[in-house]
Amino acid sequence: MLNDSSQNQSKVGLTKAQKPRPKNLNLLTIRLPINALVSILHRATGCILFLILPVILLLLQWSLSSAANFETVVAILHSPLIKLMLLGLGWAFSHHFFAGIRHLAMDVHWMTSLMKARYTSKVVLVLGALATLLLAIKLW
Amino acid sequence: MLIELLTKRYPGMRAWLTQRLSGLVMAIYSVLALGRFLLLQPTYYEAWLDFFRPWWWRLASLLFWISLSIHAWLGIRDVLKDYVPNANLRGVLIKLLVVVLWLYLAWATYLLFG
Repeated sequence: MLNDSSQNQSKVGLTKAQKPRPKNLNLLTIRLPINALVSILHRATGCILFLILPVILLLLQWSLSSAANFETVVAILHSPLIKLMLLGLGWAFSHHFFAGIRHLAMDVHWMTSLMKARYTSKVVLVLGALATLLLAIKLW
Repeated sequence: MLIELLTKRYPGMRAWLTQRLSGLVMAIYSVLALGRFLLLQPTYYEAWLDFFRPWWWRLASLLFWISLSIHAWLGIRDVLKDYVPNANLRGVLIKLLVVVLWLYLAWATYLLFG
């Protein structure tokens, strides 16, 4: 079939360079299944959490060093932009946490069929969003 | 069968189990930490020091950070294996990862017990 169509095109008179090239993998047509979404977010949030480690250690060191530094750290954490970043980090942590629990559940052969896995993926996304919402209420 | 899977012949199985166990330790610690934080409400400096004063909590925190180091090593190593095709660069990055994680662990130990 493919050969037929290319022969047809050459009959029309297109040169090799002008011929529309075959598009084998159009990324825009791929819809990520929900399990894949939870999986890639698990990986992405893991990377984010790793990258933020030095900041966490630095803030911990400051906050424990003296009362004045503790107040400074609290003031920093209360500024609007940092609060937004804290919320993002809170989501990253809670998603990684719940997706990890889902992994553990599947490792003991719980909720492993496709239907159930899709269901627990939704649960993970919803729980991550809920935890983020609770954090937002606590922060503002 | 399970014991055989965990011998040196199947290193992937050991990495798998290590990743699960370290994750479990961190999950339990996180729940405890959140509970303690909500219970003690350390909003001023003295209360914040008290939060970290009990020896068992500092020990738990160290155990958490050791688990975190192992978990991050396996996790980030997998990410590097997937996305860095150049073997030399990947080797350097993985070595760098190990150094950074050891430094963080030393830093965390110093903060908890120094």
